[in-house]
Amino acid sequence: MNIITIAWIVLPFFLGFVIYLCPRFDRSLALVTSLASAAYAVLLFTQPIPVALQLLDHFGVTLIADSLSGFFILTNALVTMAVLFYCWQSGKSAFFYAQATILHGSVNAAFVCSDFISLYVALEVLSIAAFLLIAYPRTDRSIWVALRYLFVSNTAMLFYLVGAVLVYQTHHSFSFAGLQDAPIEAVALLFLGLLVKGGIFVSGLWLPLTHSESETPVSALLSGVVVKAGVYPLLRCALVLEEFDPIVRLFGVGTALLGVGYAVFEKDTKRMLAFHTVSQLGFILAAPVVGGFYALTHGLVKSALFLIAGALPSRNFKELQHRPIHTPIWIALVMASFSISGFPMLSGFGAKVLTMKSLAPWQPMAMNLAALGTAISFAKFIFLPHKSQESASVKPGFWAAVILLIGGLLIANVVYFEAYTLANIAKPLAIIGLGWVAYFAIFRRTTVKLPRVLEEFDHLIGVMSLMLILLFWMVWA
Amino acid sequence: MLEACVFATILCGFFGIVLKQNLVMKIISMDVMSTGVVAYYVLIASRNGLFTPILSDVNRGAYADPVPQAVILTAIVIGFSIQALMLVGVMKLARDNPTLESSEIEKGNTP
Repeated sequence: MNIITIAWIVLPFFLGFVIYLCPRFDRSLALVTSLASAAYAVLLFTQPIPVALQLLDHFGVTLIADSLSGFFILTNALVTMAVLFYCWQSGKSAFFYAQATILHGSVNAAFVCSDFISLYVALEVLSIAAFLLIAYPRTDRSIWVALRYLFVSNTAMLFYLVGAVLVYQTHHSFSFAGLQDAPIEAVALLFLGLLVKGGIFVSGLWLPLTHSESETPVSALLSGVVVKAGVYPLLRCALVLEEFDPIVRLFGVGTALLGVGYAVFEKDTKRMLAFHTVSQLGFILAAPVVGGFYALTHGLVKSALFLIAGALPSRNFKELQHRPIHTPIWIALVMASFSISGFPMLSGFGAKVLTMKSLAPWQPMAMNLAALGTAISFAKFIFLPHKSQESASVKPGFWAAVILLIGGLLIANVVYFEAYTLANIAKPLAIIGLGWVAYFAIFRRTTVKLPRVLEEFDHLIGVMSLMLILLFWMVWA
Repeated sequence: MLEACVFATILCGFFGIVLKQNLVMKIISMDVMSTGVVAYYVLIASRNGLFTPILSDVNRGAYADPVPQAVILTAIVIGFSIQALMLVGVMKLARDNPTLESSEIEKGNTP
């Protein structure tokens, strides 16, 4: 198993460079890597004990792969596969596929790391690959968005590095467990890096612009898996060390409410989806024990939604009200929206029930509010007009990708089929019903435009210092 | 004392990123900040000794901890490649925004 793990980590990087050498096989090679990841994730679920690897010595590279990482790896494999199907006929160059493969590999590596330096390397490789993918169209706007992304994440990672060396100083080891009695400032600095990278709470406000202004397949990749590379280590820390569990949960609640608060007032489809990524990451963090399954369903549904949003005739909800969309696309859109709102039959339901069950006593109130917000904002998608005669103008690979993702959502139901009890079913239905009523009564007509001050570049960097103080205070208290 | 200087470097870099308007200056500030971080690693490595950790027959006394040095070497390489990438991006942006003021670029490129 150890050899398989190492071979699986190396494979995407190796094939990524092979793609440069043989550009003719770019798509098939990229597909091979994602299939390998899917196979590895399935293999992980069958392992009775977690795979733990320690290379060199106690200060060397440590890896841990268990079912939590299995869920994240499976998400990565499926989303990458769907994006490859989507791009299959789009005539993208070998460069795009090589970067996508390397991105896939670095996200995989981040999902099995269990020490801070391997994680640092994985996250930095990931930002470089993501930068190149965002800047792929070479327009001024895409370059600026990519530059802003790289700048913010690199600054955060510098803080992270200082935190990592402080952990090393106390234990002579970089492993996650070393956080135990590390100084408070080390914890605050490391968490700051991960929060920014994972798009959590106020420090995650770089995310909406980046995810909404990228190309459709790239947004799907970014929202589906890339941000989770920052969230996974937070989950891991919360699981390894009891005392950080409340902090992670608190950030989960905060970011769930913040994201939803922005999303209900948003008038642009892709921006609304991006804000929902922020809020759904909060759901993942709110219950660290079951975060893996939530991450899987969210990854599938969010990438499906981004791909579908790319096929809609407009990005503005006001215009979409007057331009009927093709019925099959509408059905896919409604299925994905139902899953994310937690409607039974789709695995979003099971994930929500499981999360709600594992909440701490003080959380349910806030999380129900966030779920209500989700139902309100996705009512905007569900109640769009549709028409069957309209000629479909979607990319050739669109249906293969969407069917893969939504099929995955249906199949993932088996993970937690015990969720189907009457009480469990009634609650999400009530929330969704209430959300729709609220949508028609209030939010359909509102024209509130929330200020975007916090999304400006300088403020994004400045907020890091405030977050650092907040984190320091939280760990200290 | 040295530690204070190192942190002052990191903070100078950070404030430079926030306060400087020009994009190239921001990138240079980030470089200053990462220099501070590198210096901090070197400082921590030398807590127990100063000699270069190279295996030899002669015992030259307490040597520096090789692990932080090895780690920061990786980080330097990564930081340098990221900076190169950013500067290429800035070069491309400079064609249409010759002043490279980040607030102007931002105004022109946010929907």
